[in-house]
Amino acid sequence: MMPFARKPRVAFFDFACCEGCQLSILELDEKLFDLLAHVEVVAWREVMSEISEEYDIAFCEGSITRQQDIERIKTIRDKAEIVVSLGTCASISCHNALKNKWAMNELLALVYSEYGEHIDTIPARPIADVVNVDYQILGCPVSLPEFETVFKRILTRQAYTPSNQPVCVECKRNDILCVHEKGMVCLGPVTRCGCNAICTAFGDACRGCRGLIDDANLEAPVRALFGEKLHPIMAEVARNNRLTGKEIIARFSLYNNTGRVGKGEESSDGTA
Amino acid sequence: MTPRGIQIISGPDFNMFLEAIMAVQTVIGPRERGDQPGYYLFSRLQRAEDFAPGYKTTTLPPKKILASPKEKLFSFTFDKPPRLRLHVDASPFVLLGVHPCDLAGIDALDHAYAHPPAEMRWSANRKRATIIGLDCQPDAYCFCSSVGTDAARIPCDLFLTPIDHGYLAEIHSDRGRQLLQKANTSNAGEEELAAAKRWRQQKVERIRAKFDAPLERIADILETGGLTPTWKETAKRCYSCGSCNTACPTCFCFDMIDELDPDLRGGTRYRTWDSCQLLDFAMVAGGHNFRGERWQRVRHRWQRKFLYLFRQFGRPYCTGCGRCSRACTVDINIVDVTNQLIAAAKMEG
Ligand code: SF4
Ligand code: SF4
Ligand code: SF4
Repeated sequence: MMPFARKPRVAFFDFACCEGCQLSILELDEKLFDLLAHVEVVAWREVMSEISEEYDIAFCEGSITRQQDIERIKTIRDKAEIVVSLGTCASISCHNALKNKWAMNELLALVYSEYGEHIDTIPARPIADVVNVDYQILGCPVSLPEFETVFKRILTRQAYTPSNQPVCVECKRNDILCVHEKGMVCLGPVTRCGCNAICTAFGDACRGCRGLIDDANLEAPVRALFGEKLHPIMAEVARNNRLTGKEIIARFSLYNNTGRVGKGEESSDGTA
Repeated sequence: MTPRGIQIISGPDFNMFLEAIMAVQTVIGPRERGDQPGYYLFSRLQRAEDFAPGYKTTTLPPKKILASPKEKLFSFTFDKPPRLRLHVDASPFVLLGVHPCDLAGIDALDHAYAHPPAEMRWSANRKRATIIGLDCQPDAYCFCSSVGTDAARIPCDLFLTPIDHGYLAEIHSDRGRQLLQKANTSNAGEEELAAAKRWRQQKVERIRAKFDAPLERIADILETGGLTPTWKETAKRCYSCGSCNTACPTCFCFDMIDELDPDLRGGTRYRTWDSCQLLDFAMVAGGHNFRGERWQRVRHRWQRKFLYLFRQFGRPYCTGCGRCSRACTVDINIVDVTNQLIAAAKMEG
């Protein structure tokens, strides 16, 4: 089953990000060779020095944060048949959008003082806000099994939609003890899964790196934490963490600063 | 259910019994979690000492062994004609330490899955399992006496009640009788029978969480409708995270996924657990969602457990295990909400 007329040419591109998604894909090890057997890689900075200007599938990491990024992603869109936004920076802007809380000139003055005027910066945006994106992969970094699934879907021309289920579902499917029981604050109930609950599996709380599920109830934890009757688990969480409303918002805005997946919303004010 | 025989088995003899079973079969039972003492899960026991007979509850019910969260159904190829290979595992195992509520959960699924068209995979897995029940003492979330499961024995093969220095073992099937032949047992005397009875009495007396109305009345209340303010108030706190369903021993909704092989010439189909609390669960082609509002999904959980399936099978699809309430991080407690509904129905008259 190979609906492409010829071996598709694959290129990786990066925008504002740590390039960690590209790098983590290398950890697929031998599986990577199985996948790459179906394609020809023509650009991948983390792996090779050659760069080709001709490609069919473009994996794009990182957020759009400069005027010149807009031109560049448009060129990529024109050339590639399939554009994939790879990872949370590319798909929902990730930490990059923390800067959107400031006006750009204020921000530049704050960070670069008088040198700021030479720097090209615009509010961070996901790639899908600028060009049409065919596939979105979430995660900081992307989850390898999910990357593999999406790669195979692309090659067989099947659609892929990031899961709209919360991480709690994957905790249950893997019989992971809820970290609330250990008095931790977890963003899993409002965060899209697809990571196979990797953080909670290793005893850490979910930090929300895959963005909010549609219809996430952000009022629920506040009610549970500050409501009149505290759930014993929540009481423990509150005791251990002494959280204020401000801190809860800070936790949410580590990753969730722009609109939600697939909605192509404009950048918001940074409070998710 | 009256047992077909009653024996007693001492603690050391019981451990030898377990080791003898383990020598020939896999034994799955409650064991303490390595990452968090005081919490338990059903998992393979390697040694008799792994068995945690005093466990209160587990995050997931033993359902996870009989209908795995991600169950491999079959593999396929894209050849013409395609080739299908059914995935079957016929190896027998012992499911040890199942509390009465969870026995009732397995029984509830036996009925649901036997309903035409019968689900073959469940019944195949059920045939693999020899079930050893175990009596328990409640925690604050348990409410088995409100749903009639506190003394459930079906479908176990053997049932254990802790007594001084060992267990009283009820035999409930030929399979159970055969298995128990591996053990050193003696006949139960008056004293042991009385001890087991005391255990059961204490258990029922200790149950704090209770429904304020009988099940028939609850079904009527749910059927009459209304109660929207209670549903909406509950929904304000609900994440729609699905933990209540996915931790429930009687929920059986599922999704299907196909995973392609690396060579793209075939793949595998899996069945995974799903939940009616999730937003996309009732989404149909064209994008319409017939339970798109959170409160409708909350209501659906109660209607399903205490109305639809209650009327269809003559039993609530709730065993009183309390797992949904324990799993919920925002204090949506099934007993509290049910009692709020009962109170609201009184008010609405
Ligand atoms: S650990 Fe987090 S994601 Fe997992 S069940 Fe608990 S709240 Fe949900
Ligand atoms: S576990 Fe609680 S928050 Fe999650 S869907 Fe169920 S009732 Fe709602
Ligand atoms: S509804 Fe809740 S209490 Fe009832 S069987 Fe399911 S998890 Fe247990």
